Amino acid sequence: MNRIDRILAALLWFLGILAVAGITHIVAIFVLPAVAAKDTFARILALAQPGQAAVLPPARPDTQFMPFADPALVQSVCPFDLSSGSLRVHADVEGDRLLSLSFRTVAGQVFYSMTDLAAQQGKIDVVVLTPAQLEIVEADDDEDDPSQDLRLIAPESKGFVIISALAAHPGEHAEAEERVKSVACEIEQVAQE
Amino acid sequence: MSTGTTIVLNKPLQAHSSILGKFLSALCLGVLLGLFGTFVEIEQGTGFAAIKAGPWTGWPRSEASEIDPYSRAILAYSGKISLSESEAMSFVADRDSDGGKFNSACDYIVTGALPPARFWTLTLLSPEGALIANPADRQGFTSSELLRSSGGQFEIALSRRARPGNWLPLDRASKFILVLRFYDSELSAPAAALDAAHMPVIVRGRCE
Repeated sequence: MNRIDRILAALLWFLGILAVAGITHIVAIFVLPAVAAKDTFARILALAQPGQAAVLPPARPDTQFMPFADPALVQSVCPFDLSSGSLRVHADVEGDRLLSLSFRTVAGQVFYSMTDLAAQQGKIDVVVLTPAQLEIVEADDDEDDPSQDLRLIAPESKGFVIISALAAHPGEHAEAEERVKSVACEIEQVAQE
Repeated sequence: MSTGTTIVLNKPLQAHSSILGKFLSALCLGVLLGLFGTFVEIEQGTGFAAIKAGPWTGWPRSEASEIDPYSRAILAYSGKISLSESEAMSFVADRDSDGGKFNSACDYIVTGALPPARFWTLTLLSPEGALIANPADRQGFTSSELLRSSGGQFEIALSRRARPGNWLPLDRASKFILVLRFYDSELSAPAAALDAAHMPVIVRGRCE
Protein backbone atom coordinates (compact mmCIF):
# COMPACT_ATOMS: atom_id res chain seq x y z
CA MET A 1 0.00 0.00 0.00
CA ASN A 2 1.35 3.40 -0.83
CA ARG A 3 0.92 6.49 1.24
CA ILE A 4 -2.25 7.81 -0.41
CA ASP A 5 -3.96 4.46 0.05
CA ARG A 6 -3.16 4.55 3.73
CA ILE A 7 -4.50 8.08 4.12
CA LEU A 8 -7.69 7.16 2.26
CA ALA A 9 -8.15 4.06 4.41
CA ALA A 10 -7.70 6.10 7.58
CA LEU A 11 -10.12 8.71 6.29
CA LEU A 12 -12.69 6.04 5.51
CA TRP A 13 -12.23 4.58 8.97
CA PHE A 14 -12.69 8.02 10.50
CA LEU A 15 -15.84 8.69 8.47
CA GLY A 16 -17.13 5.31 9.61
CA ILE A 17 -16.67 6.37 13.23
CA LEU A 18 -18.52 9.63 12.60
CA ALA A 19 -21.40 7.86 10.88
CA VAL A 20 -21.79 5.37 13.74
CA ALA A 21 -21.51 8.22 16.28
CA GLY A 22 -24.24 10.17 14.51
CA ILE A 23 -26.60 7.21 14.40
CA THR A 24 -25.95 6.38 18.07
CA HIS A 25 -26.58 9.99 19.05
CA ILE A 26 -29.90 10.20 17.21
CA VAL A 27 -31.12 6.85 18.55
CA ALA A 28 -30.13 7.82 22.11
CA ILE A 29 -31.98 11.16 21.88
CA PHE A 30 -35.18 9.42 20.77
CA VAL A 31 -34.97 6.45 23.16
CA LEU A 32 -34.17 8.40 26.32
CA PRO A 33 -37.61 9.94 26.99
CA ALA A 34 -39.34 6.56 26.57
CA VAL A 35 -36.98 4.94 29.08
CA ALA A 36 -37.48 7.77 31.55
CA ALA A 37 -41.26 7.65 31.08
CA LYS A 38 -41.49 3.92 31.78
CA ASP A 39 -40.00 4.52 35.19
CA THR A 40 -42.45 7.36 35.90
CA PHE A 41 -45.51 5.31 34.94
CA ALA A 42 -44.36 2.32 37.01
CA ARG A 43 -44.02 4.58 40.04
CA ILE A 44 -47.50 6.01 39.44
CA LEU A 45 -49.00 2.49 39.24
CA ALA A 46 -47.30 1.66 42.54
CA LEU A 47 -49.31 4.51 44.12
CA ALA A 48 -52.72 3.98 42.56
CA GLN A 49 -54.65 1.36 40.59
CA PRO A 50 -56.14 2.40 37.23
CA GLY A 51 -59.38 4.27 37.87
CA GLN A 52 -58.33 5.36 41.34
CA ALA A 53 -56.82 8.66 42.39
CA ALA A 54 -54.03 8.89 44.94
CA VAL A 55 -52.63 12.05 46.47
CA LEU A 56 -48.91 12.38 45.82
CA PRO A 57 -46.77 12.71 48.93
CA PRO A 58 -45.99 16.40 49.51
CA ALA A 59 -42.58 17.55 48.30
CA ARG A 60 -40.21 17.84 51.25
CA PRO A 61 -36.44 18.42 51.33
CA ASP A 62 -35.83 14.74 52.11
CA THR A 63 -38.60 13.08 50.10
CA GLN A 64 -40.04 13.92 46.75
CA PHE A 65 -41.99 11.90 44.25
CA MET A 66 -40.71 13.91 41.30
CA PRO A 67 -37.93 16.43 41.05
CA PHE A 68 -38.81 20.05 40.23
CA ALA A 69 -42.17 19.79 41.95
CA ASP A 70 -43.78 23.03 43.07
CA PRO A 71 -44.19 22.84 46.88
CA ALA A 72 -47.20 25.17 46.62
CA LEU A 73 -49.15 22.52 44.68
CA VAL A 74 -51.03 19.58 46.12
CA GLN A 75 -51.29 16.96 43.40
CA SER A 76 -52.96 13.65 42.86
CA VAL A 77 -52.59 11.17 40.07
CA CYS A 78 -55.22 8.92 38.49
CA PRO A 79 -53.87 6.30 36.09
CA PHE A 80 -56.31 4.84 33.57
CA ASP A 81 -56.61 1.83 31.32
CA LEU A 82 -59.43 2.27 28.83
CA SER A 83 -59.58 -1.44 27.96
CA SER A 84 -62.04 -1.94 30.82
CA GLY A 85 -64.18 1.14 30.17
CA SER A 86 -64.02 4.91 29.76
CA LEU A 87 -62.66 7.22 32.44
CA ARG A 88 -64.93 9.82 33.99
CA VAL A 89 -63.41 12.76 35.84
CA HIS A 90 -65.75 15.02 37.78
CA ALA A 91 -64.87 18.08 39.83
CA ASP A 92 -66.93 20.72 41.60
CA VAL A 93 -65.29 24.10 41.40
CA GLU A 94 -65.88 27.04 43.68
CA GLY A 95 -64.19 30.35 44.28
CA ASP A 96 -61.09 31.72 42.66
CA ARG A 97 -58.81 28.85 43.56
CA LEU A 98 -56.57 27.17 41.05
CA LEU A 99 -57.45 23.59 40.18
CA SER A 100 -55.88 22.14 37.09
CA LEU A 101 -56.25 18.83 35.28
CA SER A 102 -53.82 17.45 32.74
CA PHE A 103 -54.49 14.32 30.72
CA ARG A 104 -51.36 12.45 29.72
CA THR A 105 -50.08 9.46 27.85
CA VAL A 106 -47.91 6.82 29.52
CA ALA A 107 -44.89 8.82 28.34
CA GLY A 108 -46.19 11.83 30.26
CA GLN A 109 -47.11 13.84 27.19
CA VAL A 110 -50.11 16.05 27.73
CA PHE A 111 -52.96 15.48 25.30
CA TYR A 112 -55.36 17.83 27.06
CA SER A 113 -55.18 20.19 29.99
CA MET A 114 -57.63 22.54 31.62
CA THR A 115 -58.04 24.63 34.73
CA ASP A 116 -61.07 25.48 36.88
CA LEU A 117 -61.68 28.50 34.59
CA ALA A 118 -63.06 26.02 32.02
CA ALA A 119 -65.76 24.78 34.40
CA GLN A 120 -69.40 24.98 33.25
CA GLN A 121 -71.77 26.07 36.04
CA GLY A 122 -69.18 25.20 38.66
CA LYS A 123 -68.65 21.68 37.34
CA ILE A 124 -66.01 19.92 35.31
CA ASP A 125 -67.11 16.68 33.64
CA VAL A 126 -64.60 15.00 31.38
CA VAL A 127 -64.88 11.55 29.82
CA VAL A 128 -61.75 10.00 28.34
CA LEU A 129 -62.52 7.41 25.67
CA THR A 130 -61.06 5.33 22.90
CA PRO A 131 -62.38 6.14 19.40
CA ALA A 132 -64.50 2.94 19.51
CA GLN A 133 -66.02 3.90 22.87
CA LEU A 134 -66.82 7.37 21.56
CA GLU A 135 -68.83 5.85 18.69
CA ILE A 136 -70.89 3.75 21.11
CA VAL A 137 -71.50 6.70 23.45
CA GLU A 138 -72.46 9.01 20.60
CA ALA A 139 -74.92 6.45 19.22
CA ASP A 140 -76.70 6.51 22.59
CA ASP A 141 -76.89 10.32 22.73
CA ASP A 142 -80.28 11.94 23.22
CA GLU A 143 -80.52 14.77 20.70
CA ASP A 144 -83.01 16.76 22.80
CA ASP A 145 -80.90 16.58 25.92
CA PRO A 146 -77.28 16.78 24.82
CA SER A 147 -74.65 15.59 27.22
CA GLN A 148 -72.66 18.26 29.05
CA ASP A 149 -69.60 16.03 29.23
CA LEU A 150 -66.37 17.04 27.60
CA ARG A 151 -65.32 13.98 25.60
CA LEU A 152 -61.65 13.42 25.01
CA ILE A 153 -60.18 10.78 22.74
CA ALA A 154 -57.06 9.31 24.31
CA PRO A 155 -54.20 8.70 21.87
CA GLU A 156 -53.36 5.48 23.73
CA SER A 157 -55.52 3.24 25.90
CA LYS A 158 -53.30 3.82 28.93
CA GLY A 159 -52.26 7.05 30.55
CA PHE A 160 -52.83 9.13 33.62
CA VAL A 161 -54.50 12.30 34.83
CA ILE A 162 -52.73 14.76 37.11
CA ILE A 163 -54.97 16.83 39.36
CA SER A 164 -53.33 19.86 40.96
CA ALA A 165 -54.58 22.43 43.43
CA LEU A 166 -52.62 25.50 44.43
CA ALA A 167 -52.27 26.35 48.10
CA ALA A 168 -51.97 30.11 47.69
CA HIS A 169 -50.94 30.49 51.34
CA PRO A 170 -48.90 28.05 53.43
CA GLY A 171 -51.89 27.47 55.72
CA GLU A 172 -54.06 26.31 52.83
CA HIS A 173 -52.35 22.99 52.16
CA ALA A 174 -54.99 20.94 53.96
CA GLU A 175 -57.76 22.76 52.12
CA ALA A 176 -55.98 22.25 48.78
CA GLU A 177 -55.65 18.56 49.57
CA GLU A 178 -59.40 18.39 50.21
CA ARG A 179 -60.06 20.01 46.84
CA VAL A 180 -57.78 17.51 45.11
CA LYS A 181 -59.42 14.59 46.91
CA SER A 182 -62.90 15.80 45.99
CA VAL A 183 -62.15 15.26 42.29
CA ALA A 184 -63.78 11.97 41.32
CA CYS A 185 -61.99 9.74 38.88
CA GLU A 186 -63.54 6.40 37.92
CA ILE A 187 -63.79 3.83 35.17
CA GLU A 188 -67.25 3.72 33.59
CA GLN A 189 -68.61 0.76 31.67
CA VAL A 190 -69.47 1.60 28.08
CA ALA A 191 -72.57 -0.30 26.97
CA GLN A 192 -71.54 -2.78 24.30
CA GLU A 193 -73.77 -3.12 21.28
CA MET B 1 2.75 -28.73 -0.38
CA SER B 2 1.19 -28.05 2.88
CA THR B 3 3.35 -25.01 3.52
CA GLY B 4 2.47 -23.63 0.09
CA THR B 5 -1.25 -23.85 0.80
CA THR B 6 -0.82 -22.09 4.12
CA ILE B 7 1.00 -19.21 2.54
CA VAL B 8 -1.63 -18.84 -0.15
CA LEU B 9 -4.49 -18.95 2.36
CA ASN B 10 -2.85 -16.73 4.90
CA LYS B 11 -2.76 -13.56 2.89
CA PRO B 12 -6.48 -12.98 2.35
CA LEU B 13 -7.17 -14.15 5.91
CA GLN B 14 -4.89 -11.48 7.31
CA ALA B 15 -6.45 -8.84 5.10
CA HIS B 16 -9.89 -9.90 6.25
CA SER B 17 -9.04 -9.77 9.91
CA SER B 18 -7.50 -6.32 9.54
CA ILE B 19 -10.64 -5.06 7.77
CA LEU B 20 -12.78 -6.65 10.48
CA GLY B 21 -10.59 -5.05 13.11
CA LYS B 22 -10.99 -1.65 11.53
CA PHE B 23 -14.73 -2.18 11.21
CA LEU B 24 -15.12 -3.20 14.83
CA SER B 25 -12.92 -0.43 16.14
CA ALA B 26 -14.86 2.12 14.08
CA LEU B 27 -18.12 0.70 15.45
CA CYS B 28 -16.98 0.80 19.08
CA LEU B 29 -15.41 4.24 18.85
CA GLY B 30 -18.45 5.53 16.98
CA VAL B 31 -20.89 4.28 19.62
CA LEU B 32 -18.73 5.73 22.40
CA LEU B 33 -18.41 9.06 20.62
CA GLY B 34 -22.17 9.15 19.92
CA LEU B 35 -23.07 8.44 23.54
CA PHE B 36 -20.53 10.95 24.78
CA GLY B 37 -21.91 13.58 22.41
CA THR B 38 -25.44 12.86 23.60
CA PHE B 39 -24.35 13.13 27.21
CA VAL B 40 -22.59 16.47 26.65
CA GLU B 41 -25.51 17.84 24.64
CA ILE B 42 -28.02 16.89 27.32
CA GLU B 43 -25.89 18.07 30.24
CA GLN B 44 -25.13 21.45 28.69
CA GLY B 45 -27.87 22.03 26.19
CA THR B 46 -31.23 23.66 26.45
CA GLY B 47 -32.76 22.29 23.23
CA PHE B 48 -34.16 24.34 20.39
CA ALA B 49 -37.37 25.25 22.17
CA ALA B 50 -35.82 27.12 25.10
CA ILE B 51 -36.70 30.79 25.54
CA LYS B 52 -34.19 33.14 27.14
CA ALA B 53 -35.40 36.25 28.93
CA GLY B 54 -32.77 37.96 31.06
CA PRO B 55 -31.44 35.41 33.57
CA TRP B 56 -34.46 33.13 32.95
CA THR B 57 -34.67 30.14 30.64
CA GLY B 58 -38.09 28.73 29.89
CA TRP B 59 -39.54 25.84 27.96
CA PRO B 60 -42.91 26.63 26.44
CA ARG B 61 -45.48 23.94 27.22
CA SER B 62 -42.73 21.60 28.35
CA GLU B 63 -44.49 18.35 27.66
CA ALA B 64 -46.64 19.25 24.73
CA SER B 65 -46.11 16.98 21.78
CA GLU B 66 -44.80 19.77 19.54
CA ILE B 67 -41.59 19.96 21.52
CA ASP B 68 -38.44 18.98 19.61
CA PRO B 69 -36.73 15.66 20.40
CA TYR B 70 -33.67 17.39 21.83
CA SER B 71 -35.63 19.39 24.36
CA ARG B 72 -37.70 16.34 25.23
CA ALA B 73 -34.59 14.24 25.88
CA ILE B 74 -33.04 17.00 27.97
CA LEU B 75 -36.19 17.40 30.02
CA ALA B 76 -36.54 13.65 30.49
CA TYR B 77 -32.93 13.22 31.53
CA SER B 78 -32.90 16.12 33.94
CA GLY B 79 -36.17 15.00 35.50
CA LYS B 80 -37.74 18.29 34.49
CA ILE B 81 -40.61 16.31 33.01
CA SER B 82 -42.03 16.56 36.42
CA LEU B 83 -45.68 16.31 37.17
CA SER B 84 -46.06 20.00 37.74
CA GLU B 85 -44.34 21.28 34.64
CA SER B 86 -47.10 21.51 32.14
CA GLU B 87 -49.58 22.83 34.69
CA ALA B 88 -47.49 25.97 34.54
CA MET B 89 -45.22 27.89 32.25
CA SER B 90 -41.85 27.50 33.98
CA PHE B 91 -38.64 29.47 33.92
CA VAL B 92 -35.37 28.48 35.55
CA ALA B 93 -32.48 30.76 36.58
CA ASP B 94 -29.07 29.64 37.81
CA ARG B 95 -27.37 33.04 37.57
CA ASP B 96 -28.14 36.66 38.33
CA SER B 97 -29.05 39.38 35.83
CA ASP B 98 -25.37 40.28 35.36
CA GLY B 99 -24.59 36.70 34.38
CA GLY B 100 -22.84 35.68 37.60
CA LYS B 101 -23.49 32.13 38.76
CA PHE B 102 -25.54 31.90 41.99
CA ASN B 103 -23.43 31.68 45.11
CA SER B 104 -25.14 30.97 48.39
CA ALA B 105 -22.59 33.18 50.19
CA CYS B 106 -24.14 36.22 48.50
CA ASP B 107 -27.41 38.08 48.97
CA TYR B 108 -29.78 38.47 46.04
CA ILE B 109 -32.90 40.53 45.41
CA VAL B 110 -35.59 39.39 42.97
CA THR B 111 -37.74 42.29 41.87
CA GLY B 112 -39.34 43.95 38.87
CA ALA B 113 -41.99 43.23 36.29
CA LEU B 114 -43.95 40.04 35.75
CA PRO B 115 -46.01 38.90 32.79
CA PRO B 116 -49.73 38.63 33.52
CA ALA B 117 -50.80 35.38 35.16
CA ARG B 118 -53.55 34.33 37.53
CA PHE B 119 -51.03 32.93 40.00
CA TRP B 120 -47.29 32.59 40.03
CA THR B 121 -44.81 30.94 42.37
CA LEU B 122 -41.09 31.37 42.92
CA THR B 123 -39.27 28.33 44.33
CA LEU B 124 -35.70 27.79 45.46
CA LEU B 125 -34.40 24.33 44.53
CA SER B 126 -31.16 22.46 44.31
CA PRO B 127 -29.85 22.09 40.70
CA GLU B 128 -31.20 18.52 40.80
CA GLY B 129 -34.71 19.81 41.53
CA ALA B 130 -34.93 18.92 45.22
CA LEU B 131 -36.18 21.26 47.92
CA ILE B 132 -33.45 22.52 50.26
CA ALA B 133 -34.05 22.17 53.99
CA ASN B 134 -33.76 25.32 56.10
CA PRO B 135 -34.74 26.21 59.66
CA ALA B 136 -37.41 28.67 58.48
CA ASP B 137 -38.98 25.89 56.38
CA ARG B 138 -39.52 28.27 53.49
CA GLN B 139 -38.72 27.19 49.94
CA GLY B 140 -40.69 29.69 47.93
CA PHE B 141 -43.45 32.26 47.61
CA THR B 142 -46.77 32.32 45.85
CA SER B 143 -48.09 35.54 44.30
CA SER B 144 -50.89 35.60 46.90
CA GLU B 145 -48.76 35.46 50.03
CA LEU B 146 -46.14 37.98 48.92
CA LEU B 147 -45.78 41.25 50.84
CA ARG B 148 -45.95 44.16 48.43
CA SER B 149 -45.40 47.90 48.61
CA SER B 150 -48.38 50.22 48.24
CA GLY B 151 -47.61 50.50 44.53
CA GLY B 152 -47.88 46.74 44.10
CA GLN B 153 -44.12 46.31 43.78
CA PHE B 154 -42.47 43.33 45.39
CA GLU B 155 -38.97 42.40 46.48
CA ILE B 156 -37.86 38.92 47.45
CA ALA B 157 -34.58 38.78 49.36
CA LEU B 158 -32.38 35.69 49.14
CA SER B 159 -29.91 35.55 51.97
CA ARG B 160 -28.37 33.30 54.58
CA ARG B 161 -29.38 35.82 57.23
CA ALA B 162 -32.98 36.64 58.09
CA ARG B 163 -34.36 39.62 56.17
CA PRO B 164 -37.50 41.65 56.82
CA GLY B 165 -40.26 41.25 54.25
CA ASN B 166 -40.10 38.41 51.75
CA TRP B 167 -37.10 36.36 52.79
CA LEU B 168 -35.99 33.16 51.07
CA PRO B 169 -33.29 31.54 53.22
CA LEU B 170 -30.19 30.32 51.41
CA ASP B 171 -28.78 27.16 52.82
CA ARG B 172 -25.15 27.22 53.83
CA ALA B 173 -22.76 25.77 51.24
CA SER B 174 -25.33 24.51 48.78
CA LYS B 175 -25.88 25.29 45.13
CA PHE B 176 -29.29 26.50 44.14
CA ILE B 177 -31.52 27.53 41.26
CA LEU B 178 -34.72 29.57 41.12
CA VAL B 179 -37.85 28.34 39.37
CA LEU B 180 -40.56 30.82 38.41
CA ARG B 181 -43.90 29.31 37.43
CA PHE B 182 -46.92 31.03 35.93
CA TYR B 183 -50.29 29.36 36.37
CA ASP B 184 -53.16 30.16 34.05
CA SER B 185 -51.14 32.71 32.15
CA GLU B 186 -51.53 33.65 28.53
CA LEU B 187 -47.82 33.13 28.12
CA SER B 188 -47.91 29.77 26.43
CA ALA B 189 -49.04 30.99 23.02
CA PRO B 190 -46.84 33.98 22.18
CA ALA B 191 -44.01 32.85 24.43
CA ALA B 192 -41.40 33.79 21.87
CA ALA B 193 -42.42 37.41 22.25
CA LEU B 194 -41.35 37.38 25.88
CA ASP B 195 -38.44 39.68 26.61
CA ALA B 196 -36.27 40.42 29.62
CA ALA B 197 -38.13 43.67 30.38
CA HIS B 198 -41.23 41.70 31.38
CA MET B 199 -39.41 39.33 33.71
CA PRO B 200 -38.06 39.98 37.20
CA VAL B 201 -34.41 40.94 37.59
CA ILE B 202 -32.10 39.15 40.01
CA VAL B 203 -29.63 41.60 41.56
CA ARG B 204 -26.65 40.41 43.53
CA GLY B 205 -25.97 42.21 46.80
CA ARG B 206 -23.27 41.81 49.39
CA CYS B 207 -21.24 38.59 49.56
CA GLU B 208 -19.80 37.09 52.75
